[in-house]
Amino acid sequence: MPTITIDGEKYQVDGEQNLLSTCLSLGLNVPYFCWHPEMGSVGACRQCAMIEYKDNEDHYGRLVMSCMTPVREGGIYSLENEVAEEFRGGIIEDLMTNHPHDCPVCEEGGECHLQDMTEMSGHTMRRYRGKKRTHRNQHLGPFINHEMNRCITCYRCVRFYNDYAGGNDLQALGRNHQVYFGRQKEGRLENSFSGNLVEVCPTGVFTDKTFSAHFVRKWDLQSAPSICEHCAVGCNTAPGAREPGNGHEPTLRRVTNLYHHDINSYFLCDRGRFGYEYINSPTRIMKVLSARHEEVISSTADSDDRLHREVSPKDAVLHLAEQITARQRGEKKLIGIGSPRASLENNFALRKLVGPANFYSGLNRRDQELLELVNTIQCDERIQSPTTPDIENADAIVILGEDIYNTAPRISLAVRQAARNRQKQQAQSLKIPLWQDSSVRQLEGDSSPIIFVGTELSALNDIVSTALFEPPEKVAGFARNLALAISDPERPPTGLEPKLQEPLESIVEILRNARNPLIISGTSSKNADTLRGAALLATTLSEFRKVPTMLYLTCDEVNSLGIIQLFDSEKGHLEQLLEALEENQSSNTSTSLIILENDLYRRLDKKSLEQLYTHTEEVFLLDTLLSPTAKRADWIFPTSATAESQGTFVNNYGLAQRFYAVYEGGGFIQEGWRWLVDAVNFCTDKYENLADISEWEHSTDLSDAVAREFRTLKVLDSLGPDENFRIDGLKIARQTARYSGRTAIHAETHVSEDPPIQDPDAPMSFSMEGIHNPNKTLLQANIWSPGWNSNQSIFKFQEEVGGERKGGPSGIRIERPKHSIPEWEISSTASPELPGNPDQLQMLPVYRLFGSEELSNQAMGISEVIEAPFVLVNQADAAASDIRQGEMVELETGCGVYRAEARINSTTTPGTIGVPFGLPDFETLSPLLPGFALLRPAAAPLITEG
Amino acid sequence: MLTNPLTKNVIDQNIATDIERYLGNGGYQGWRKALTMRPEEIINQVKEGGLRGRGGAGFNTGLKWSFVPRGENAPRQKFIVCNADEMEPGTFKDRLLMERDPHLLLEGMAIAAYAIGASIGYIFIRGEYHLAAERLENAVEEAKAQGLLGSNILDSKFTLEIFIHRSAGNYICGEETALLNALEGRRAIPRAKPPFPQVSGLWGKPTVVNNVETFCNVPHLVELGVDWYRELGRGQDAGSKLFGVSGKVKKPGTWELPMGTPIREIIETYAGGMQDGLELTGFLPGGGSTDFLGPEHLDLPMDYDVIGKAGSRMGTGTIIVLDNETCPIGLVLNLSQFFARESCGWCTPCRDGLPWIVKILQRIEEGAGLPEDLDLLREQCQHIGPGKTFCALAPGAAEPLQSALKLYEQDFIEHIEKRCCPYAELQSGKQS
Repeated sequence: MPTITIDGEKYQVDGEQNLLSTCLSLGLNVPYFCWHPEMGSVGACRQCAMIEYKDNEDHYGRLVMSCMTPVREGGIYSLENEVAEEFRGGIIEDLMTNHPHDCPVCEEGGECHLQDMTEMSGHTMRRYRGKKRTHRNQHLGPFINHEMNRCITCYRCVRFYNDYAGGNDLQALGRNHQVYFGRQKEGRLENSFSGNLVEVCPTGVFTDKTFSAHFVRKWDLQSAPSICEHCAVGCNTAPGAREPGNGHEPTLRRVTNLYHHDINSYFLCDRGRFGYEYINSPTRIMKVLSARHEEVISSTADSDDRLHREVSPKDAVLHLAEQITARQRGEKKLIGIGSPRASLENNFALRKLVGPANFYSGLNRRDQELLELVNTIQCDERIQSPTTPDIENADAIVILGEDIYNTAPRISLAVRQAARNRQKQQAQSLKIPLWQDSSVRQLEGDSSPIIFVGTELSALNDIVSTALFEPPEKVAGFARNLALAISDPERPPTGLEPKLQEPLESIVEILRNARNPLIISGTSSKNADTLRGAALLATTLSEFRKVPTMLYLTCDEVNSLGIIQLFDSEKGHLEQLLEALEENQSSNTSTSLIILENDLYRRLDKKSLEQLYTHTEEVFLLDTLLSPTAKRADWIFPTSATAESQGTFVNNYGLAQRFYAVYEGGGFIQEGWRWLVDAVNFCTDKYENLADISEWEHSTDLSDAVAREFRTLKVLDSLGPDENFRIDGLKIARQTARYSGRTAIHAETHVSEDPPIQDPDAPMSFSMEGIHNPNKTLLQANIWSPGWNSNQSIFKFQEEVGGERKGGPSGIRIERPKHSIPEWEISSTASPELPGNPDQLQMLPVYRLFGSEELSNQAMGISEVIEAPFVLVNQADAAASDIRQGEMVELETGCGVYRAEARINSTTTPGTIGVPFGLPDFETLSPLLPGFALLRPAAAPLITEG
Repeated sequence: MLTNPLTKNVIDQNIATDIERYLGNGGYQGWRKALTMRPEEIINQVKEGGLRGRGGAGFNTGLKWSFVPRGENAPRQKFIVCNADEMEPGTFKDRLLMERDPHLLLEGMAIAAYAIGASIGYIFIRGEYHLAAERLENAVEEAKAQGLLGSNILDSKFTLEIFIHRSAGNYICGEETALLNALEGRRAIPRAKPPFPQVSGLWGKPTVVNNVETFCNVPHLVELGVDWYRELGRGQDAGSKLFGVSGKVKKPGTWELPMGTPIREIIETYAGGMQDGLELTGFLPGGGSTDFLGPEHLDLPMDYDVIGKAGSRMGTGTIIVLDNETCPIGLVLNLSQFFARESCGWCTPCRDGLPWIVKILQRIEEGAGLPEDLDLLREQCQHIGPGKTFCALAPGAAEPLQSALKLYEQDFIEHIEKRCCPYAELQSGKQS
């Protein structure tokens, strides 16, 4: 580690870094714009100038850009030197010549890096007397505002959007001081990481449009660490909420990135950033609803839909308590259905209430089997489940059947960085430091080998070296053949199509020579053999390389890997519930269902669900949104969403992470488990489990109970401090030290201050009082440091720039017993189960970032960009069925007919069609994927009179 | 002894020297000789000949070539690129060479390509030079027909294809790495160095970029040798050079003269001296991005280091003359407008500093300047000086301004005090 001198002080530093990040890591305040901790240096803005001296004799030194200057042993530098200070003052003055004085109306105001740097560089007097250059703004879609007059031309936006995220519809246009960052034509930014522009832009050019709709200043937001619930990657977020006053309920205002070194680092995908709006959506359940005693005279709703009216929470809870009591007396049966999108705590509470034998996972058989497989595979000692930095280091990647851009977007961003590893190697051989971003990027070098085998590949085409479009069973066979050839290259492959022979050989060659290969697969293709093939390939590679191989498996939902821990193998899926109900039919005990945060229409086909309902007396639902399942429920209890509650999710690689309530929410919402506790408390006889349940007061009581009961989830008792934790006798403040209007917010009724709501679950206050310093606790999600009001301040809370959070990392991997995966039979020629009718085509699920996930589909911004239902059809099948591009087609399935637009291509395997999973109007098709359907041109719509 | 190797084929008629006449005058002899030599020999000869880059920076050409990786581990594909994006204000020398003797350039490029092992060459030519581009395209076809370009040239197994690329227009493309970006279809902004183009240039491959005139020096240097070449120069520097004069002289133009020809000789003998009644008050010795020199410097020889010591640069060797009836502020304003417009927009001091300078100069020229504007201008010159910006564009833009602030300080003060341009009065007085 070199020793350097900065302004007379000696420091031991990491010699791999440039002078700027070295200074920042040391806690020095160096102003900068174009440099970004994750994107490196390009030397454009010239704001970070310092003086470098040749030696002790050199008294003048040389002005250098610290971001472009490698740190050398014995180096002598100055930040405070007058020449450097004067130059930095000149740069900010130059930058500000064109910047408008619109801070009071700018969304960035108060968390603006440009404001901070202007202050820091000492520019207080305006000497420029000319006119400012102005630009016309563009409409960039529902997520991002564009205000080009504010631009200081740091090039961060295009460097992130194009270079880092692989976008191609945002450009630097024009030249000189007229450089314009925009699209060639107005329109939505198409890259799914566009929301990061809001955080990457150092000023207010790109701001969050969904936030603008209910804007408040950063200092008026209350915040807490949360976990994104829109996929299973487990990105950390810092949602912000605020009470609007005038008697309105507090609302969630926005989501920003919360740095987690191993998962999301500085970036989120757009589903994660803008999906939060579901919490404020019109379909949100805020009241307790009942469908009982309604006499329906006429209705346009589906005949089976219930009409709900608001009831008092007490009545509903009392009714539930009656059911529980009846169950205790053996007069009734209560069945609980959990959910992979509910926290472990909520799932556990329901399990406790109904008893393990009556608790079901809420997954269908196939999905549960897939998750069990993932769990089994990850327990093999030859498998390493990689973090994001691990993925970025891979030098060869094979993606099996997983369209990661749409199913695990943040992982696809990591894969994109891994593609540059060859280029980085070349840089190292030329002794060019990796932080020299533009130097490294201009080196030649094909991308590192990235191989895709699967149904559909989105947005990674530019970095994928080989793409083979095959249906799931072929993917599995290919993986198996890869594994066989790696262990024995002489052995001829079995059942391999001739066209795949050549790619197979080259991929085997690549994998055998890779230093750090990575296999990616997952559950989204709904094919167990694909997972087995991926596992076989990874373990074979491990045997060959004598070290564990990285295998990243994606799951469908935020807590998929969590809920699977609560069940024994092959136990608890919905088909089993159906069977149990059939058997139960003969007995005379009536059965009621308690469904936790689950839309069963996405799990089981409509026929099976009808069966389920005919066997049940009453359906209780605890959920956040009015789903099709809610329409059939008899009683609905509103539950708090992720940002309003505390709990634990387990991510794709087995990391248990706790999320905390950001705000108290509105209406009658509360966590699902609290409704159950309320009901139990009304029960007169509390024996066995009920006694335990009635003692639950804090979310951590449940976390601890889960930890006691499930060996693999033992870490839940040490994920975070409990509610009694204090720092210097204080709780952690959710509101900022500058939170305004605390006595004025209810001024229309009174000017006294309401006592803050007490948080029973976390050692955090719903007020300004408490600890504000993120260095003292990871629970402080309001990232702010004196002089650094923007999110750039995160480096003040890292061990070093780009390193772990101080006090981190948050989250602990669950501890699963190690064992070897069994010898699976993976047939390479396995044909799918045959269609009932030879004219049927096999429907394969395809995914969309916007549209395939249940909750975010209800977000207002996202709902604007979700595609209308479509099917992907091979041109040969299209020709055979007389289907033309863009025309409407009908899909006749075992559960009804669906209409969609035909999209004809050459990559969809003949005999199969790609059907979007979970898309609005297609949700009920999800349980049928993969399955069979007849495809035909849609009949002309019937014209009905009047 | 041949004393005008660059222009020996240039005749009064505005036609390109065709292949017959070129060959008849001993053309492609350098190329034939080069093909019999080892590449290192050629590089050494060019290095020892003392040929310095004629684009303005004056770097030893042979030395530049020697940085290209050689040997078995070197990348197989290399490129030779001609910088024909002649856009320096006051400069029109490359145009003459390309329009009148395109084969000389092709021959020079061919030798350079052979020396570094490049099989593909590009001439990146200023878009406005359509006549030169047409003539070059024609010359390439002629040379290919003679087997002097293309595959297996003169049975040597050496292959070279040369393509003409017309620039979309941008002064910054004269910066070699911005040129490479433009050639690749990217934004024309300079690249970070290292890596230098000789190691990782066009599409990441080793690339040498030289100015038109530099290439044109090569054929005779290779054919006639180091001693002949060094003797061409009158002063410290070797070879001959195209010098030009613009401004209010009697015969503005461009001439091939020995390196080290005194400035006074160029202006008085070749350009015919100042127009009647006018006095020379200063000059820019090497194009728009060089410092003003005063009448006291007229006897200096045009050598890179001599001009450098006098406080300016020889640049492209094309002199812009300022006379006593032309407003120096107007001249600097005109140049600054050009540089501000041509800034690529990458780094702050250039992108946002130059337009500010333009606004201040405009104000002064219009009679609305303030005394403190002079300090502001001096400060701005500091901020766009060498080492402070990403490339040399802004430091070049600073040169005429910073020297004018010294040399013509009194003019600036008068503009501000009289609240008008005194030269404008002079002009209007003349007219009435």
